[in-house]
Amino acid sequence: MSSVIEQIEQQIANLQSKTVATNTGKILTVGDGVAKIDGLSEVMYNEMIEFPGGTIGIALNLEEDEVGAVVLGESNHLKEGDEVKCTGTLLSVPVGKCMLGRVVDALGRPMDGKGIIDSSETNPVEKIAPGIIERKSVDQPLMTGIQSIDSMIPIGRGQRELIIGDRGTGKTTIAIDTIINQANINKVGLASGDPDFRPVYSIYVAVGQKNSNVARTLGILEEKGALEYTIIVSAPAADSAANQYLAPYTGAAMGEWFMSNGMDALIVYDDLSKHAAAYRQMSLVLKRPSGREAYPGDVFYLHSRLLERSARVNEANGNGSLTALPIIETLAGDLSAYIPTNVISITDGQIFLETDLFNQGIRPAVSVGLSVSRVGSAAQIKATKQVAGKIKLELAQFRELAAFAQFGSDLDAKTKAQLERGSRIVELFKQPAFNPIPIEQQVGVLWAMQNNYFDDIDVSKIVEASNSLRDFFSSRKEALLTSIREKSKIDDDLDRELKSAVDEWKTSFN
Amino acid sequence: MTQDKQIKGFAKQLLKMSFENGELCVERVDGVLKTLEKNNQRHQIPVLKAYLKLVEREVAKSTAVISHAGRLSPELATSISKQLSTKYGRNVRSVTREDRSLIGGLCVVVDCDVYDASIASSLASLESSLS
Repeated sequence: MSSVIEQIEQQIANLQSKTVATNTGKILTVGDGVAKIDGLSEVMYNEMIEFPGGTIGIALNLEEDEVGAVVLGESNHLKEGDEVKCTGTLLSVPVGKCMLGRVVDALGRPMDGKGIIDSSETNPVEKIAPGIIERKSVDQPLMTGIQSIDSMIPIGRGQRELIIGDRGTGKTTIAIDTIINQANINKVGLASGDPDFRPVYSIYVAVGQKNSNVARTLGILEEKGALEYTIIVSAPAADSAANQYLAPYTGAAMGEWFMSNGMDALIVYDDLSKHAAAYRQMSLVLKRPSGREAYPGDVFYLHSRLLERSARVNEANGNGSLTALPIIETLAGDLSAYIPTNVISITDGQIFLETDLFNQGIRPAVSVGLSVSRVGSAAQIKATKQVAGKIKLELAQFRELAAFAQFGSDLDAKTKAQLERGSRIVELFKQPAFNPIPIEQQVGVLWAMQNNYFDDIDVSKIVEASNSLRDFFSSRKEALLTSIREKSKIDDDLDRELKSAVDEWKTSFN
Repeated sequence: MTQDKQIKGFAKQLLKMSFENGELCVERVDGVLKTLEKNNQRHQIPVLKAYLKLVEREVAKSTAVISHAGRLSPELATSISKQLSTKYGRNVRSVTREDRSLIGGLCVVVDCDVYDASIASSLASLESSLS
């Protein structure tokens, strides 16, 4: 009791009775989460403003006679003539490692019922992306744990790789798999005590998602032990358009903290189509001029300034990275729509998921022909390059031949061989959801495929054989997996070891 | 939209005519209003509304409303208006008003700027620091 009194006495003693100067305005109109304000002559663009009852808003339209601001949160209690105050600060959110394992809203406030977040640092939500001098080429891999992606469309730390596809094609699943894989790698790496090991922390930004979907994602991450390395920023469908517009920038501010402090982070924006729609809604209510598909003129800048914040910075700037996996939902596979083309042109490649492949049971439904990684191959480990160098070409040729082969029965031996091999690769790349495969196991399995160990196995049994081989590696050849992981390339010794191991497995599998 | 802009533009021109030596002049405002009354034109009421808003804003910029709890000496009011005139670079006249809700001290409002040195605001900041 006495300590509380002492604390209060100290606070009263510290209280300065000096004059407080504030710049104020009055609400002219308020509606649809947007307020028009008279006054606020000194307000800055993007400045936080305070409405009665502690409600926060952001000044977005600085006009000649009035200020247009979006209200973050409940606006039902606001009325015409209410006083609004400038705060003099740009919108900032709490950042740091204390955010890991938490679910927060667009303003960084906890919404998981785990109590307050004790963060001593904040970062501005809007920040200029690192410039040319601060950057470095992408040269370190970021393993997704998905065989088809790690082997054919590799992603590097600091890259922006778009995940694009129709609804229900497994876009979120790929992102969640990647987050789970980072957690798995972090656990192994941190346990090894390797001083050079660089863990990857993840941020999952849910924009306009159903609350049930966010809860399911949270449950999966918790179950797989990945939540302790992850921050979830949620602006669900029930949230205001302003919060949905802000959430990706909030996530980016949190990710940037890791990057600027010499760490690696991964950020998933799920999804930017809904983000663009929220921005459109906000802009229309703010009476900004609309353009194509009623999006405002700066919708490209909306996404470019967000995705440019993902980067790999050089040693002088901490040597950290922020990798982005933005997600875009297409309608009927239309890649040439407005927002998809915008984001495709901003990112360093895309993973296109096809509905047809998904319905055929090929999951993840990655379309090899339309997917590309523009910078990731520089970061791919040598071992994967050695075993999967030609797979993308073989698979693309197979897809073309498979379509062609439907029309003719007589095929030459070479074409038949290509079809046989292609169908085996397709089977090999099938992978259940939320089950990322460590890169060393992927290398082992792909080595066996490259060396024709799967050729005499029936196509329908390829998945079973692949699982069996991975089980064999993890249960009986742990040392071999460790040396693949450590060497990151297949030399003659490793090649011999792999051969003897796969030979041993083959006799037991048959 | 265009009509709105035209009205606002016209009202601004009227406001310019209402200045003398960089300050709003009562005689000139009176003259502007009389001329408008004589030459009744389209959109008279919206123009007058826009003009009124601009004049009110100008008046607010040159007026310091000093709210106080308890006694306020005329010397202090004069000193405040003198200091504010120096700060804003224009003649700021003061208007005093008693407000018991301030408990003690005073609060000065010039257009959008509020200078609060009242006991009520100190207590409010103490309350927020304790919560």
